[in-house]
This record gives sequence, structure tokens and C-alpha cells, in this order.
Amino acid sequence: MDLTRRTILKTQAAAAAAAAAGVSIPAEAQNIPTGEDIQLQWSKAPCRFCGTGCGVMVGVKDGRVVATHGDMQAEVNRGLNCVKGYFLSKIMYGADRLTQPLMRMKNGQFAKDGEFQPVSWDQAFDEMARQWKKVLKEKGPEAVGMFGSGQWTIWEGYAASKLMRAGFRTNNLDPNARHCMASAAVTFIRTFGMDEPMGCYDDFEHADAFVLWGSNMAEMHPILWTRITDRRLSHPHVRIATLSTYEHRTTDLSDTALIFKPNSDLAILNYIANYIIQNGAVNREFVERHCNFRLANTDIGYGLRPDNVLEQRAQHANDAQVSNPSSFEDYAKLMSQYTVEKASELSGVPKERLEALAKVYADPKVKVMSLWTMGFNQHVRGVWANHMVYNLHLLTGKISEPGNSPFSLTGQPSACGTAREVGTFSHRLPADMQVANPEHRKHAEEIWKLPHGLLPGKVGYHAVQQDRMLKDGKLNAYWIMCNNNLQTAPNTNNETYPGYRNPANFVVVSDPYPTVTAMAADLILPAAMWVEKEGAYGNAERRTHFWHQLVNAPGDARSDLWQLMEFSKRFTTDEVWPKEILDASPDHKGKSLFDVLFANGEVNKFPVSEVDPAYENRESKAFGFYVQKGLFEEYAAFGRGHGHDLAPFDTYHQVRGLRWPVVDGKETLWRYREGLDPYVEKGSGVQFYGNPDKKANIMGAPYEPPAESPDAEYDMWLVTGRVLEHWHSGSMTLRVPELYKAFSGAVVFMHPDDAAKRNLRRGQEVKVVSRRGEIRSRIETRGRNKVPPGLIFVPFFDASQLINKVTLDATDPISKQTDFKKCAVKVVAVSAADAGGQQ
Amino acid sequence: MTAECHISSLVVHSHPDRVQSIIESIGSIEGAEVHGGADTGKLIVTLETDTESQVVERINTIQLLQGVLAATLVFHHFESVQERE
Repeated sequence: MDLTRRTILKTQAAAAAAAAAGVSIPAEAQNIPTGEDIQLQWSKAPCRFCGTGCGVMVGVKDGRVVATHGDMQAEVNRGLNCVKGYFLSKIMYGADRLTQPLMRMKNGQFAKDGEFQPVSWDQAFDEMARQWKKVLKEKGPEAVGMFGSGQWTIWEGYAASKLMRAGFRTNNLDPNARHCMASAAVTFIRTFGMDEPMGCYDDFEHADAFVLWGSNMAEMHPILWTRITDRRLSHPHVRIATLSTYEHRTTDLSDTALIFKPNSDLAILNYIANYIIQNGAVNREFVERHCNFRLANTDIGYGLRPDNVLEQRAQHANDAQVSNPSSFEDYAKLMSQYTVEKASELSGVPKERLEALAKVYADPKVKVMSLWTMGFNQHVRGVWANHMVYNLHLLTGKISEPGNSPFSLTGQPSACGTAREVGTFSHRLPADMQVANPEHRKHAEEIWKLPHGLLPGKVGYHAVQQDRMLKDGKLNAYWIMCNNNLQTAPNTNNETYPGYRNPANFVVVSDPYPTVTAMAADLILPAAMWVEKEGAYGNAERRTHFWHQLVNAPGDARSDLWQLMEFSKRFTTDEVWPKEILDASPDHKGKSLFDVLFANGEVNKFPVSEVDPAYENRESKAFGFYVQKGLFEEYAAFGRGHGHDLAPFDTYHQVRGLRWPVVDGKETLWRYREGLDPYVEKGSGVQFYGNPDKKANIMGAPYEPPAESPDAEYDMWLVTGRVLEHWHSGSMTLRVPELYKAFSGAVVFMHPDDAAKRNLRRGQEVKVVSRRGEIRSRIETRGRNKVPPGLIFVPFFDASQLINKVTLDATDPISKQTDFKKCAVKVVAVSAADAGGQQ
Repeated sequence: MTAECHISSLVVHSHPDRVQSIIESIGSIEGAEVHGGADTGKLIVTLETDTESQVVERINTIQLLQGVLAATLVFHHFESVQERE
């Protein structure tokens, strides 16, 4: 390549960066030469990874995705891309991509102890249906279950919900999002009567202060982090405070960092509430008009198995979710215990830093955006922690307006869109409705044109409970889709793996790659991914966005949607529904589940001819109608007119996403405030209309200790989490050679003093041991994460070092979300004898 | 294996107090060049490397410079060297 050409390309590169940054650069670096990309067909899609929901442009050449770049028209990222998003084009082309169903076989038949052999889709579904029917007949619907995903497209989650709840009549459906943001979702409902944030990403350009509670945004949400840094750089008064149990990239870049002892964030939050009350900073008018006070049940246990001594000792382990009406006075009395001295003593954070942070919340002139992710949600008191941050915003009235925004970030691309809005949790139906509510079930039966009384009212098994029930032999036919649970569930050696290999169970995994979960299954179904199918995701700011199918999946790989719908053809209503329901509704007799769930006159309403002719759509071709449009429009009926309004299907293919509620063609940026949200009545100012009295709940709760703390033998805290280069369990990013090379194996981040005390050197091989299990890894005393003495951090992306053999399956007793951020471990050198034994 | 040339660009958000030292540090990285943006703290940087892995390495290096708040990739192009010589 000659020099001139290099210069031209560099000019083009610089111009693109300048445009994305909104920076002007010298004239000679402008004038973009075009024509480079003429051979490629470019289409929009949301990124496949985190919950930020960046727009990317996807370039296709000869039926293959060959390039991606940040979409300049996407409001979320405005042309920027993080390093994972940049390598999106490679995630579908790993060398070990699954292209045909694989079943454990011996002598030509399924055998639990057999070896994986390729089979046809018919063989796979025949065996699967045989197993499902056997379990349904012998044990009933409660022995059938599914573990889904916040990475499912909206229609995949919706089809799965219909198939499980209405088809098989079980609520044993839960998404991996349970591990990720159940605490956030549950607290939204408990506080506002409606899920998801009131604000949106536009708050980044309005806030004066950003407070990060248990979120390493610089690595986990890098594009949103650039929006914060942009704000910080262009407005010198803006400040960033980060709270964490160790130092990381985000604390480095913040104006102040508060490194606290695990679980003591509860005490810090209550101290700030106390400071607000003591210093007359309560917005009395706002609180009186718009808030109720409640006190939570306390001593609520840790969501462990009921025979665990910690559960038996807890006073309210069985009614943890209960709270009682209270008053400002009683709430203030509870908070008054949390003096700065007490908060400082519990947390280890200097008093001056706590006071400085309290002032940020208390000062009526400072607009505050609070942001949180896993540090808050993966917490044995995650629901309380979420409540406590809302308390601060509600006490001061700093909510539901530009820049004043408690904002829960999400980790999966459709944690909001699919797991929450569609309702793929074991307790939920679409549009925030609950399975336990007979009115909600009746409404769902009407929209779905199904017999009254069909939907089960019993809340199903949540994620951790599914693993326990598999192990105990009570859940026997199990389908895992679009997640890698054997790597990401807690305490896997004792509570997850045994259930997958329990001879009483038949476990199916649908995935594009042979993950550790797939390899532990009985049947593996090859899945299409991302732009190999038409899709829709909902991001953390209520933005629903669509993409077209751009390429075909390799071999026999098929989308989860096709798999769910095709499998439903193998069951008749007579086989799976009770006789009395069919007798009362004879029209439903003798039909296949496909007929009653998907060919019901609604889902199959739109012809294939409505599919954009420029794009392939395999599912619609296979079933003979525009599958995605039919499912979406039926689903949207749940929310339209109820504050969850979605735009018409076709609109989303044109725009870069819209934030619901979309009313009269207009999206809603801030909810609950008059003039910004069309659902708020004139003259009311603010209405939290998710609750019948249109008020939000301020919930008082105390500090309580974690389930397990370090002691003489297990003397360190273990925190697990992610790194920039890899997304969650790494099943996609580890297959991108450049990302693999950038961070190829997990390490144990440890303070140099702790290493010296144990005679460990940087790079030395060690065992991380808990009461549950152990892994081998290597010591890292430098690098991007700087942990305090007494605490180690181990990322969970590395399948060769399954740190979840070590973690504890304690959950928040209310949200049932696991606490991956604190348990007790010891770190010991791998002795010569150990090393020898391994070779 | 054919030799390749990779041209990419980044936006580097830099702390105002450290912009000058960051520009100097980037200048000393092989194949990296700053094209402007000092006044707003949003530096426009191009990278010229032989492999894609080097793109990731360089981003990590820049990311870890004192005062760098964020380094974000915007553009990437590569072609084989023979193609044009």
C-alpha cells in the first residue's frame, strides 16, 4: 500500500472519529473519500451484547457479515462502538459453531450415558416430545421447565411464555436475567407499581452529579461511560462519585471513590437518608403529595435451601416480601440510627467522604443521576438496596425530570424488552401482570383466545430453585435456551451439575456453541443467532428496536423461535390439557398446541408478503405467515392503553428504536411527570400511576449482614464479575481471536500485601477454595482492578476456571437473585504434590 | 500469510489537566497519531498497525494512560499490503 493511500485512509479514519465526537479538526483531515464500501450491503441492528443497546451498521457480502461499525444515526451511541461491539461481525463464525442437533446415544437410541451423535431435527424433537409426554403424564406440569434469556428476542420470549404457561400449563419458566437484575425489576414494581426506569439516557446530558453504586461502567457500559465523560469534560462543575468494594477503571476516573466493605452500602444509603432528614433537605411537599411510607419485614434470611441453619434461624425467611404501612416519623426514627460514625464504622469509608456524598443528594440545586448494576442487584439485600436509593430520590423529589434520575442499568440486550416487558419470569405475564393474580390470568386468556381457567396461578420455580429441583428429581424435562447456566449459576458443582446429569432428568440445550452447559445436556439443538433471524430487543432506557434477518444460519441451525413453534406441533391439547377444560371449551379439542397458540387467528394474521422483500425471513417461510409481526402485534395488545404502549410493528423497522410508552407516534423520555408523560393528568404535577393511589413507596429497611463473611479459615472475600473484553460467560467473545488474546484467562486479582503474607508471587498458580468447591488460577497483583486487603476479584468468563464452583447460592429472599459479590474463600499455593497429581 | 495494513481511529476522552501529557504519550506509541481535539479533551487518534490484535493492544495501552477517561474505537479498515504495491 503506498503512502498516499495510507494518508487518505487515515484522513477518512480521523474524519469519522471527529464526526462521532462532534469535534472539528483541521481542514486537511476532512473531506471523506467514499466508495470503499460499495460492495457491502449495510443494514441497521442493535448490538448483540449488553443492555446499552448501541446501534450498529452491519455490512453483508456474499451472505456473510464481514463488517460492523457504530451507527451514526443511533441516538444511544452516535457512531461510537466499544471493543466488543466492534468485533460483532466475528461472533457468528467461531470454528466450533454447532450446525446440527446432537443427542447422547448408545446402539442407535437415546441414552443418558451415551456419547453425543448427530441426529436430524425430527429425531431430536421425537425424543424430546417422548420425554416431555412421559414426564407430563407421570408427574404433571410442575415437572416440566425452561430456563430462558434476556438475550432472547421479544417474540422468542413471548412464544416461550405462551408455550410454557398456556401450552404445558406451568410457570416453571425463568430467564437468566434472574441472575442479573431481578432485584431491580422487583423493586420497581414494589416502589412504583410499574417496572423500568422513569428516565432515560438523555439524563446523562442534564445531570450535575453521577453516583455509581456498584457499577464499573468504564468497562461494562463503555459507551454510556463516554456520555458521562463528555458531560464531565464539557461542564467543569460536574462530579462523578463511584462506590465499590474494590478499585477499578471507573473509580480511577471518578472525582471521588468510596471503597466500602461488602454489604455496607446499605448503611451508607441509610446514612444519606438520615443526613437528608436531619438537615431539613426533605422536599416536604413532594413527599406529602406523592409518597407513602412503609417498613419492610426484617431478618429475612438468605434464600438458601430451607434446611440451612441461616434460614431456620431467620424470623421472616418465609414472608420476606411483606412490608407494612408506616409514617414519615417511624421511617425517620429507623434512619436516625445511621449516623455518620456508624456508617463509617460499618463501611470503612472516611466520614468526610460520606458527608460529601450526602450533600450531593441533599442539595436541591444539584441534579443527581444514580446508576447501578450488579454490585447492587447481586446482593442478598438487593431489593432493599434498590429501595434505599429510590428513597433518597423520593425524599428530595429528585426524580422523573431531566438529570434527576435513579437509573438501573442492564447487562443483557433485552433484559428489559424480553425478560421484563414480555414477562418470562416465573411470576410474571406481559406488561407487568402477575401469574398469581386471577384477573391478570383471565385477561391473558382472553388476548390469547384460550379457555378460561387454563393458565396456572402458582408461581413457578425461579432460576436457583430450578437447579435445586433438578437435583432433587422434581423437575425432569428441562429446556435451556440462549444462556450458559452451568457457568453462570452459583455453587454449580453441588447445585447445578448434579441436576443436569440426574438420570431422572432429560435436559435440552439450544445454543450456537458447545458451551459447558450444552456439553452437560442430553440433547443439543443448534441455534441461529443475532442477525441470522429477524429480531427485536428492548434496552435499559425502554427503547424497543428491531432488525432484519441479514444472513442465514449455518447448516441446520435454526432460531429459538422456530424451535419453540415447531416443537409445539408435536402435542395435542388432549394430551396436555385437563379434560374438564376441554369439555367446557370443545372448540379447542383435538388441536395441536401450534394451532391454539400460534395459528389462533391473531399470530397468523399477517401474510408472508408483508415481509420486506429485501430480506430473508426463515421462520415466516417455514410457517407460512409473518411470524414476528403476528407475535408482536398480539403481544403489544397487552400494553397499549395501559402505559406500556408500543408503536406499530412496521415503524420499528424504520427508526433507530423508540422509548415506550409510544403515544400518538411520540416516544416518552421521562415518565410520571406532567408535560413529559402523556399518562400524567393535568394539574397533578407528578403521578406514579403504576400504583392505584398514584404514589410511590418509600421503604424503610435496616442494614443486615451478608450470608457468609470471612473467618479464621476462609479469610478472604470473593467478588466475581466481568472484564471489558468479554461478555458474561465468554461463549461469544472468547471465539473472537483478538478478544481472546486481549484477555485470555481469568486471574485472581489480589492486594500485594495479601500475596506477600501468603508467600505468593504475581503469576503463581493458586487454588481458590470455599466450603463449596475450588478452582485453580493465577495471582495478579497489578492491572486494572486494585482490590483492598482481604478481598479478591475473579472474573467468571473463563470456562477453564469455573469460579462458580466456589460461589454461594445465597439469594436475595425477595427477588431470588443470587449474590455473586460476597462469600468467604481462602487462597493457597498449588503445592508441588498437587501439581504432580494433575499431570 | 499476506501482510496487512490496518488503519483505525479512536476518540480518546482525556482529563483537561492531562491533555498535553496524553498527546505526548500517544505520540510515542508506534503507529499512533493525534489529529486534534485538544481544546475539548476529545482527542482524535488514528492507528496504523500490521494486525488487528495490535489495534486492541494499542487501545488498551491508551486506555490505561494516566488521565484517559475513555478510548473508543470508531473506524477500522484493513487491506493486504501487496494489493496496493
